[in-house]
Formats: sequence, C-alpha cells, structure tokens
Amino acid sequence: MNSLVGPRSVKAPPDSTLTSGSARIRPGLKIRTKLLLLVVLLLTIPWMGYESVREMEKFLLEGQEQALELTTQGISSILGNRTDLFDPGVGVPELIGRPLTSLLAEIEGPLAVDAPPDSWAMAVGVLTHFSGSGLFECGPDYDPESLAVRHGLAINPESVFAYFEIDDDVLVFRDPALLSLNSNDQIRMTVQRNNGEILRYLLTAQAPGRLSVYLMRANWKDVVDGEALREIAGTIDPVEFGYAVKIRIPRELLGVGSRLKFEVVDVDDETDRAIRRIISTEPDPMSHAFGSVRLVTPELAKLIQPLYISEANITVWDKSYRVRAQVGSVVPPAREAFGMAPPNPGPFFQRVEDELIRFFDWILRSPARGLDDMPADSSAEDQRLLARVLSEGEPNTERRRYGNAKLIVTAAPIWAQGEIEGAVLIKQSANKLLALQYETLQRFTILFLAVFIFLSLAILIFSTRLTYRVSRLQRETEQAASSEGRLLKDRIRAGARSSDELGSLTRSISSMLHNLGQYTRYLEKLPDTLAHELHNPLNVVNSSLENLQYNHRELTDDKHLQRARNGIGRLRSIITSLTEAASLKEALSQEQEQLERFDLCALVQNCVEGYQSVNPGYRIVPTLAPGSAWMLGVPDRISQLLDKLIDNAIEFGTRNGLIIVNVKRVADEIELTVSNDGPALPSEIADRLFDPMVSSGRDARQTHLGLGLYIVRLVAEFHKGTVAARNRRGGTGVELVVTLPMIPTP
Amino acid sequence: MATVVAIVEDDTDQRENYSDVLTAHGYEVRAYADRPSAEAAFDQELPDLALLDIMLGEDMDGGFDLCMQLRNLSPTIPVIFLTARDSDADRISSQRMTAWDYITKPVSLEFLVARVHALLRISEQLQTQPSNDSSVAVGSLEVNEASMLVNWKGKPVNLTLTEFWIIESLTRNPGHVRTYDALSDVTRQGLVERNTINGYIRRIRNKFRELDPNFDRIQTVHGTGYKWEQDNE
Repeated sequence: MNSLVGPRSVKAPPDSTLTSGSARIRPGLKIRTKLLLLVVLLLTIPWMGYESVREMEKFLLEGQEQALELTTQGISSILGNRTDLFDPGVGVPELIGRPLTSLLAEIEGPLAVDAPPDSWAMAVGVLTHFSGSGLFECGPDYDPESLAVRHGLAINPESVFAYFEIDDDVLVFRDPALLSLNSNDQIRMTVQRNNGEILRYLLTAQAPGRLSVYLMRANWKDVVDGEALREIAGTIDPVEFGYAVKIRIPRELLGVGSRLKFEVVDVDDETDRAIRRIISTEPDPMSHAFGSVRLVTPELAKLIQPLYISEANITVWDKSYRVRAQVGSVVPPAREAFGMAPPNPGPFFQRVEDELIRFFDWILRSPARGLDDMPADSSAEDQRLLARVLSEGEPNTERRRYGNAKLIVTAAPIWAQGEIEGAVLIKQSANKLLALQYETLQRFTILFLAVFIFLSLAILIFSTRLTYRVSRLQRETEQAASSEGRLLKDRIRAGARSSDELGSLTRSISSMLHNLGQYTRYLEKLPDTLAHELHNPLNVVNSSLENLQYNHRELTDDKHLQRARNGIGRLRSIITSLTEAASLKEALSQEQEQLERFDLCALVQNCVEGYQSVNPGYRIVPTLAPGSAWMLGVPDRISQLLDKLIDNAIEFGTRNGLIIVNVKRVADEIELTVSNDGPALPSEIADRLFDPMVSSGRDARQTHLGLGLYIVRLVAEFHKGTVAARNRRGGTGVELVVTLPMIPTP
Repeated sequence: MATVVAIVEDDTDQRENYSDVLTAHGYEVRAYADRPSAEAAFDQELPDLALLDIMLGEDMDGGFDLCMQLRNLSPTIPVIFLTARDSDADRISSQRMTAWDYITKPVSLEFLVARVHALLRISEQLQTQPSNDSSVAVGSLEVNEASMLVNWKGKPVNLTLTEFWIIESLTRNPGHVRTYDALSDVTRQGLVERNTINGYIRRIRNKFRELDPNFDRIQTVHGTGYKWEQDNE
C-alpha cells in the first residue's frame, strides 16, 4: 500500500522500448497557436468595414447628388419666367466677394470725402463685418482685437462710396523716409474691368487726412506710375477703436460689369514694419481668378441669397455665359481648412487617439487634404457643362475629381416663355462627406484595433491558462503511473474542481486512477488474503493426516502418506512466500526506527559463505570491493534481500553454474549486483520483473509466485535504494542490481 | 481427575482433529464452536488450559474476548492462541492479554501436544511452589526453566512459550551461534522459514528493549543465525 505513492525506484533497463514522455509530443500546432490563428481571422473585419464604408460612400454621394439636383431644379424653377432678371441693362458692377452681405445701398446725392465718418456710416447703411478668419490672409494666430474690418458700400449715379471702420490696436502711417510702400497700414483696391483688365490701387497716408492713391503692379510693391492719382479720393481718420476710411470712386473708372475687391493691410510694429495681416473683402480663393465678367443683377442676387448651402457655390448664368448672381464657396470655413488641432489636447486616451489618427492620415490620405487639390479655376469645365445644359435644355450632373478633391456639379436650365434664359450651376465639394466617411473609417479602425488587441490578449490568456491546465493534467497523469505501469497515486487533485470539460476529464481520469488503485491494492492484498484463507483447510488436512498417522502407526512409512505430507510441505512454503511480502511491508513500517549502521561487505561475505554451504551445486563467488561499504538500514532485511537475489539466481541460472555477488562503491552509493549465467530476460516482463506475481519460471514443479524480487524491491525501497534488472553485456546471463545509499565509514 | 483442555474453534474438522489428538493423549477435551457457548461453559467451570482460535465465524475477535473473560476469572490459566492470523498487531494483542502462546496455523499436532503439555506443567509449578531452584543466571539474565520465567536485570520479561524456548536455546551456550536450523527446531512448529525466526528475534528484542533501551545481547550472525553475547562485566 505504501508503494502506491513510493518513489519511482525501478530503473528501466537501458534496452527497453518504453514510451517516454517525449515520445508523446508530436510536431504540430499547439492549442495556443491555433487559437491565435483563429484570432487572425478577425482581420477580415476591417476589410469588411472598409468595403461597407465604400458602399456607404457611394450611397451618400448619390444622395448628395440627388439633393443637389433637386436644389438646382428648384432654383431654376424659381427663376423661371423672370426675363427681367437677365436683362443686361440692369447689371451692376459687382463688388467681388460679398456673398453674404446685402447689396449696395443706392443713395441720391454725393457724399463728401471730408464729411465726418458717422455721416458716411449712416449713408452706407448696414456694415458688413470682415474678420481675419478669411482663408489665406491671417492664418491661425489671428486675433480679432488686433484687426477687424467693418465695411459698407453705397452708390449714386456718379460714384461708388466705400466706407471702412477698422479695428486696429496700433495705427502705423507711412514713413516718408522710407521708399517702400508696403510697410504701413494701407488699403489695397483691386478692380477688374469687364474687359478683363486688372487695376491695382494702393491707398496710403503719412498722417491722418487725405489718402494718397497709387496704381500698383501685381506684386503691390512697385508703382506703375509714380504720380498719385486724383480720380479716387479718400481720407483716413483715427478713431477710438482704430481708424475710419472713406473712399470715393468714380463709376466711369469701374464701368459696367467690373469687379471690385478691397484688402485692409495691417502693420503693427513701427520699427520692423512687417505686414502682420491682410483682411480681404473677398475671402473666396476661387475668385482670385478673374476669368469671367460678372454682371450681377441685384434682384437675382437677393433671390438666391437665402439659398446658401454649406460648401457649395451657386451661380446663376445668363445665356451669354455671364454670371448674374453668386453665393457661397466650395471651400469650407477657414478653421477647418487650416486643419488646426483642437484647442485642448485632452486626456491621455485622446492623445493616443490623435496620434493614431495622424498615423492613419499618413497611411490612408485624409480627404481633408484633398482640398489643396481643388483647382483655383474650373470655369472651363463649368462652361462646357453650361453649354450642354443651355443647348439641350436638360438638367445635367457631373462628378469631378481633381486629385483628391471631389466636386459634384449640377446644372439646370432656367426657362422663360419657352426659351432657355439662363442656367443655375451648383458646385458642391464632396470632400466634407468623404471626410466624414473617412473619420468613420478611422474611428471604426481604432475601435476594431482595440477590440482585436483585447480579443487577442483575452484569447492568449485563456489559451495559456488552458494549455497550462492541459499540460498540468498531462504531467499529473504521467506521474500517476511509473514507466513500468505501476500506479504511484490514485487521484489527480489539481484542477479537479473546475466545472468545465477539462475539469470533468480530470475527474474522470482521477476516478479511473482511483478505481485502478483499488484494483491494484486488491491485487496486492490478494496473496495475503489467499494465504489466510488457505491456512484453515491446510490445517485440516495436516491435522487429519497426523491423526491418521497417530491412530494407524503402521502407516507411518506409507509412501502415499509421505507424498501427502510432502504436498502439504509445498503448500505451506507457497503460502508462506505469499504472505511474506505483505507481512514484510507491515514489518518494515515498524522498523523505521530500528535502523543501524553496518558494513554491507561484511554482511555479504558472511551470507555468501552460508549460501555456498547450503547450495553446493552452484559456485557462489563474492567479488567485493576492498575495504568496507557502510550503510544505514536493517541488516536482517538486507540479508533477506540477498536471500531472494540468490534464490532467484539459483532458480534461473544454469545448473552448477556460476553466481557472482559483487559489491562496489559508485560515488556515494553502493551497487550490489548478483549475476547468473542463465538465459536472457524475456523482454515482455523485463520492466515488471520487480512487481508482485511476475515470474519467468520455467519449471512447473517449482513454485514461481514472482514474489521474491518484489520483496527485493520492497527492501531496497525501504532503504531508499533502487533495483534494476538487465541482461549481461556480451554473452548470456542476467544481472540484478540493487543500488543503496552509502554512509561514511564510522 | 483428568486435565481439562478447552478448545474453541469454529471449523468442525480442525476442532475434531485437535480434540482427537488431545483425547488420545489423555486429556479431557471440551470443544466449543462459538463464543457464547464457550463463555457460558467457562462461567460454569474453568478448564485447566484453553486453546482459542481468534476468529470465530463472523466474530472477528471472539478469541480475544474469551481470553479476557478467562483472564478475569483466573490470572494464571494458560491460554494458547491457535490462529491463521499472522500479524504483529494480533501478536501484540494476545501479549497484552497475557496469553501464554501464539501459534499460527498450520500447526503440527505433535508439537501442539508438546506445547499443551509444557504449559500445563508450568501452570502446575506456578500454582504449587514458585521456586527459583531451577533458575540459571546468564549475566543479567535469569532463566527459570521450570516456571518458564525470564528476568532481565531483575525485571520479568513477558515472553511467549516459543520466545522462551528461543531465549533458552540461545543462552544455553552464550557466545555460540545458534543456526537458523537449530532455532527452527526449538520453536517446535515444524517447517520454519528464516524469516519467521527473524520475526521471533525481532519481537524478543523489542520486549527486552521495553525494559532496557540499550539491550543488545542478541547478535545477528548474518546468513547463519543468532548468538547471545556474553556479559562483559
């Protein structure tokens, strides 16, 4: 029973073909690898997401396109049958880029340039505010305190009057000592005549009062004509918030259909005189191209004013391809276009996300950047589309790509009395939509990445735990039985409480081991039980025979009685050897405290002499290492062990053969070897030779219960030793080796 | 009046065989098959010697119970356990109940009779006059062959009959080796394995060590037998 949990003491013979632990490991994927490969399949999700976003993009673009078409047609029907609006005579020169303001105020009389600013402000009516958030002038660090412009225009039959109220913290006048004209606060006026000629006027002053006006070249540095112009008159008046500017421009200078743009240039530092900011009355960079003549009909402009659509440019054309009204720009508001970071970087997670987004921008090319690809002038394409619409009389829609910029353009004819009077053209950027879609894709990707990493980690942890549990179960199962098939423990504790399949597998194995253990114990106890049960009938036979003999003296020498007694003798010796192992185990458990030091060499020498005298038919030769080999143990038991080894050698050796008893010291162990010259061990029992009831006995008349070597094993294990059986190298014979721990010679 | 020997044995054949041989040797035998009948009879009249099986049918320790009863009735009555159980635990139990002998089956009837005879003789001697006349001193050991008593350094050692015979045999020639064969004859059990002798010696040593932890007089001569070491003093 103790041996059930005893050490693995029986060494496998070197030539055995045992299934070792490593033999069960086959090359191939492990559970963890398999699960991780499965996780890799999750990578199809972003592809799926990408595809669906693509689908969505198509759908959205179509939706946008349809909406735009509807708008176009709506506008065209509003404008239908209004020939008055397209009358070339009502056209007025347009101030470029006032998409959101009301139109010019018309006044009766003239305004005096020297009149106080308030009277001008009254005359021009509502002022339009221009801040520095225009697209290209002021940049992201614009401060409204430093520069802001309020501007109004009025017109009378002779002149156009422009009035400016400019917020400026520092008013810097022109330094007469300096030759350059671009180093002080100034107003730049650009006029595009309807013949396409562009005139640039610089209005500057050395002191409050009259402004000097110069005609400039395109670089705004060089003067075309050194003489100051007289036709245009203006004054500059410092006021509490900055300064006010009044300008009078003769209408004949502009002519019909010309365009006008003002730029307020701000210089704040008296010494370095660098241009800090420019605020323009035309914040639409598209309009920098002066390709076409605008002949704006004020009423038409008023009509389409409320139709402002974000990031869309609505134009109304007459059949002579002249723009009669315009509202909106395809370019988004400045802040977005500048791609500025949000004011607060936010918490760590936000920053991580931002970094990731930047990374994706780099990989996927953000459509927000596509705006850079937006062409400054797309009038050629517009003209082509308009030509088609005007000639066919059918609405038409186009999708245009300029690099990464996407533009949806729709055009619809305007009918009046059965004739095409003009067309409405709406251009809208699809980039905002794409940017939204892109952002969705981004968020999705980040989310997916997070889920992917989380899942991978979870599966990694799960599979690691699973692998650990499986390998623990494997280890425990392997440890449950020795390589010879001897059961070392009868249950598996680790992981048996788990409720999953692995736990139940563990429990199954554990209960199987338990059953096997019970069976093994039953088998181990069998000889003892058997012996006990045999004692009583044997005693009956024995005592009956003795009585028979006692009552019938004449039978004493009867051969049959003699044979019966011999039979009883054999039965007794069988029973004794059956019980020997069981009683030995019991006895050994009590002898743990009776260990003594003794010299194994001396003991073997003594014993072998005894064996030789008892078995004269064999040569029993001790070959002992010189000196002594001391060990701690029970000498009786060691001699019992030797008895069994010699018995075994006699039983299996050849008759009159040689039995060698060898004792040698190997490191700190004693090796006791008993070898005979008998036939080699059958390989099928070699591993189990030291188990109970295993024998290779050949002689039917002799008793071969296979308990002798089992006793050898029990005694060796009791002395913390090991036993092994092997065929002798080179030639016949078997040697049984008992290795015992050695102690120093006292 | 004939000497009365009580036999308690559940197996009819064995009981009859013991009965036959003891009757043939002139003893009056009273045989019982189970504990209750034996108990009733012992309450009526005590035998001169009792031969008990330990396991009586389903009664696992019936023999021990009977031994206790007998011990209560008479402290000196010789009791022999004759059993198939050969465990140290049973031997110690029997010792605790001061049974005089413990024999394991199968037993030779010849030796059984010899034992019964020997024990009855000792019992008789104890009852009449416990004398030290036949005492033999071997160093600190006193062996009284008549009463089969052994004293070590003045204290009695509680030995069974077989154990006494072994001590007696070893001390008859102190310093001389008693071979296994010789000791086997002494036990009067027929065929005796070396291991059985070793078991007796072990139990004897244990009994001496209970009185004297440093007891080391019984020496093992490996592969041959045992000898009693002479006192040095």
